[in-house]
Amino acid sequence: MNELLRALAENDRDRETPAAVELRLKAAFRKKYARPKWPYFATAAAIAIALFLYPRPKPQTMEVAIAAPSVPVLPAANPAPRKVLHRKPAREVVTEFYPLMDDPPPFERGELLRVNLPASAMRGVGLPVSEEHLDDVVQADVLVGQEGLARAIRFVGNRP
Amino acid sequence: MQQTDHELLLQMLSGDEEAFTTLYRRRQGPVYRFALQMTGNNMIAEDVTQEVFMALISKTAKYDPARGTLASFLYGIARNMVLRRLEKTAEVEDYAGPEDILDDLTRRETIEQVRRAVLSLPPVYREAVVLCDLQDTSYEAAAQVLDCPVGTVRSRLNRGRFMLAQKLAVKV
Repeated sequence: MNELLRALAENDRDRETPAAVELRLKAAFRKKYARPKWPYFATAAAIAIALFLYPRPKPQTMEVAIAAPSVPVLPAANPAPRKVLHRKPAREVVTEFYPLMDDPPPFERGELLRVNLPASAMRGVGLPVSEEHLDDVVQADVLVGQEGLARAIRFVGNRP
Repeated sequence: MQQTDHELLLQMLSGDEEAFTTLYRRRQGPVYRFALQMTGNNMIAEDVTQEVFMALISKTAKYDPARGTLASFLYGIARNMVLRRLEKTAEVEDYAGPEDILDDLTRRETIEQVRRAVLSLPPVYREAVVLCDLQDTSYEAAAQVLDCPVGTVRSRLNRGRFMLAQKLAVKV
């Protein structure tokens, strides 16, 4: 009897859980114990500070009174043709939006705010920035949701 | 020096994935084999092993080192899950055994005969045989897993072996 049971135990000795189970468990482990990455927080903090320090400018309106000219204005006889230099306006290029929240509530409405940030914030979303440019100021559009939290960010550049 | 199961568990619970991997690789085999030998079903054994470690990850199962080893604790969770599965599934057909299995069966066939005979034992005896005879668990550890006195483990084991011997028509 003992021999038969030992034979069965020996036969099963190397039987193990399929590798897929380990992969599934590791995925569950990462989900459970995932820690937010530091640069991610750094970017969010930088944006929050930028939003706090630079409140959005309110649109200003100006009333202009137009008075009648006291001296009749004559049209110029033949104005000399002026050579107009057409400078191409700088073309704005933007990156894609990078999410700033892991599990945001449903988006209902929001605002897109343009802010200035240190270039180091770009690293926070995984964009490459060389060391010497980390302190440069870059423009970014921050999407702020209805709850007032920054949900996503895109960086803005100008192409001549 | 090799870290103990408890040390690995503490590191794992603080988010150390490497500690979890080490602990899992060290303990998954016995848990899987226990579930397999109790149910005779690969899929159930796989599910049970996954659920045991999921319970550890999600902290739904809390280990108290004062109550026994982590290995016994994991067997205990597996045992509860296996028994729940066994209640749901149809009973394993009783195995009568051939007249003389050693004469005309190959080793492989013999092993499968023994496996079926073990599976045909009532769960209360089966778990004693699986733990003590197939998993080499000590009587004390088996008593922790089965939540009963050591003497009960011994008597269940003796009864289980006797029933097996009858089914397999061999001398104990």
